[in-house]
Amino acid sequence: MDEREALRTVDLTKRFGGITALNKVSFDVKYGEVHAIVGQNGAGKSTLVKIINGIHTPDEGSIFVDGRPVKIKSPRDAKMLGITLIHQERMLFPNLTVAENIYLPLLAKKNMKAGISINKRMMEEIARKYLGLVGLEIDANAKVKDLGAGEQELVQIARALAEEAKIICFDEPTSPLSRREAERLFDVIRDLKKLGKAIVYITHYIDEVFLIADRVTVLRDGSKVVTKPTTETTPEEITRFMLGRSLEEFYVERQEKKTGKTPVLIVKDLYTKPSTSTGVPLKGVSFELNEGEILGVVGLLGAGKTELAKALIGAEKIERGEIYLYGRKTRVKNPAEAAKLGIVYLPEDRKNEGLVHLLSVKDNIILPLVDRLSHGKILRNRRIEENVAKDWIIRLQIKTPSAETRVINLSGGNQQKVVVARSLARSPRIVIFDEPTVGIDVGAKVEIRKFIAEVARSGVSVILATSDIDEALSLSDRLLVLDKGRALGIYTRGEIGREDLIRILSGEPLKA
Amino acid sequence: MERTTLRNIVKRITSADEFKPLLALIALYLSSAVISSYFLSVYNQKILLLQATPLVLLALGETMIILMGSIDLSPGSTMALAGLIAALSSNYYGLDIRLSVLIGLLIGALVGLINGLAVTVAKIPSFVATLATMVGARGIVLLITGGESIYGLRGYEWLTDERFFVANMVWIMVVFVIVTYVLLKYTSLGLKIYAIGGNEEATRYSGINVDRVKIVTFTLAGLYYSVAGIMMDARLQAAYPWTGYGSELDAIASSVLGGIQLSGGIGSPIGSFIGAYILTLIANIMVLLGLNPYLQWVVKGFVLGAAAIALSRGLRYVK
Repeated sequence: MDEREALRTVDLTKRFGGITALNKVSFDVKYGEVHAIVGQNGAGKSTLVKIINGIHTPDEGSIFVDGRPVKIKSPRDAKMLGITLIHQERMLFPNLTVAENIYLPLLAKKNMKAGISINKRMMEEIARKYLGLVGLEIDANAKVKDLGAGEQELVQIARALAEEAKIICFDEPTSPLSRREAERLFDVIRDLKKLGKAIVYITHYIDEVFLIADRVTVLRDGSKVVTKPTTETTPEEITRFMLGRSLEEFYVERQEKKTGKTPVLIVKDLYTKPSTSTGVPLKGVSFELNEGEILGVVGLLGAGKTELAKALIGAEKIERGEIYLYGRKTRVKNPAEAAKLGIVYLPEDRKNEGLVHLLSVKDNIILPLVDRLSHGKILRNRRIEENVAKDWIIRLQIKTPSAETRVINLSGGNQQKVVVARSLARSPRIVIFDEPTVGIDVGAKVEIRKFIAEVARSGVSVILATSDIDEALSLSDRLLVLDKGRALGIYTRGEIGREDLIRILSGEPLKA
Repeated sequence: MERTTLRNIVKRITSADEFKPLLALIALYLSSAVISSYFLSVYNQKILLLQATPLVLLALGETMIILMGSIDLSPGSTMALAGLIAALSSNYYGLDIRLSVLIGLLIGALVGLINGLAVTVAKIPSFVATLATMVGARGIVLLITGGESIYGLRGYEWLTDERFFVANMVWIMVVFVIVTYVLLKYTSLGLKIYAIGGNEEATRYSGINVDRVKIVTFTLAGLYYSVAGIMMDARLQAAYPWTGYGSELDAIASSVLGGIQLSGGIGSPIGSFIGAYILTLIANIMVLLGLNPYLQWVVKGFVLGAAAIALSRGLRYVK
């Protein structure tokens, strides 16, 4: 570490309407250092990094780059100062090639001698050079949309390097990545450190902090709690700082196991057609789901978890295979029919497939019920709708100013609770949760896990697709392990432990 | 306490979807009254209402489609086709006027149904699907008429007859505005329309039959356009083959002026009613001033641009 300060913020404050998102936060990062910022959802992490990158402008406070005061009013200003952001929602052009993606932002920099015409060979050369720096061996002419999530993130880093960024901010970079991809990312970040880059690293995951960060800053409710070198603190202490209370239980261990023996769903040798979305098609998956059972579905990104879930509700085209629902052979045509048959799906992609952001909390919850709650199925009955919505708000402890608040104004955890409420409002017999606790704060995670256990206890069958293996192990009665669209095996609770599961997922054979 | 409730009331009014369009309409009314002394005369106001009426119907139908995040280019042609078929049924085939009107309405609904099926079953983007019906329906009209108008329509007088100061068709339009408002804000179909416009995928995964909602809404919109077609028959006492040519753009413009977001999910049909009225008013005042009629287009273009800027500014505060 060369100890030179790259960036410093002094008393940054940002308000949105009446809410103070960031309250007098001072923070600094040195060249050759990884400085992690942790906190629950709504703690102000993203706001801070967005201010540094010119996406928001601060109401109060100042920013210094290389010791000089600067004004950052737009992402372009930030770029000119050598600051770049690797974003949660990856900011690439999926329709363009890798080389074009790396090259395009360079055109925005004045000092580039890129003329009006683009020299294709030079573009590819530049791309290959920086892809090499991040250790990515892919064709520079591949379309970005054909890459996996991990590869896309590395392309973003390559682009940052091409822009000669000095200060690189990561906002939850590992949330869409598999464990192996995340480890590869950490290696790249360690290389960036060696290159003398200043790294700001935002994350939910405390274990990541201790893997790669030199210092850690904890934010809570918009204010800074503490900054400490990682060598002088522990994960437990950081968790306590984050939650503001001691950590009781991250994972909900289910005690009783009284699942019925009647299978409600039998899937035999299911194949799906390859679709345009990123995942792989299913290649022969079979399993049974019993009444009141939680069947965990685990696998790395691209294992086919979401494809399996969507195939069951008719949102993914089935090539062959048989599905028996409540003992009858069925082929579900679409999600509406699935809902009628008592199967609901809680999408992984909350933003694009889960919520209607413009509608109120109430309308989001009662949406699938609106016909049933209306007079003569037509004229809406506000009072009944409100009662139903309020029941769910209380049951799931959704923190919202009122039932009429637009969901866009809620925090991620509470938005997810709204989706959960909506999925269950129809009293389904089978619920498919797809990554129900990804990208939400710890408190909400625990509450949602408790609720999933409660749902199963009431006799509903649950399919829980998750990449959090501790979540899967603690909640599931049985585990279905998927890999590249194939079933690697089904394990009963207690049959395998955490280490075994990691070994299976990393492709090693299970010891006898 | 008193003051805070008052402030809340003011805030609720000013943040309503219809507030800005209404303000614009009032401003236009005031300035028009100043510019032309004839503008506020009873006769002119009646003309204005009559002129606005068919466009309001088109705008209401278009609004339902735009709220779903789709677009409909067929209002003008559908209106012409429905008007023509009704006229032919009564004048050419001598059918009862009530039956003729019903056939006209069904034709409009049929075009809407085709749009709906094209968008859902054939999965054609609404822009392209309705472009096809727009061109196709106009083609049928021209084929049938050979480009000639059908004059001397009888039996439509009851639409232009006055009751309580204004023509019956104006009252019908008012009823449609109210019904559309209730439909969108107080029925389950309305919520589904807003939900689809807000996030179609989320609505699908929540178990709503999105395709069915789209088919129903497109059909309903087609019905609205055909009502406008019948009204044009009554007003002109003729079925003119180029009726509604370019009206799809007026219908979309009315929605935009009324604060309907083209990406779907935001806006009120009252807003589009006001939008349609504003567009008609601009044409009216320019005629009163004896200005070059082609200037109307230029002015409308500017008004639309200004409205788009004003509304997008406002939206930043909403979000």
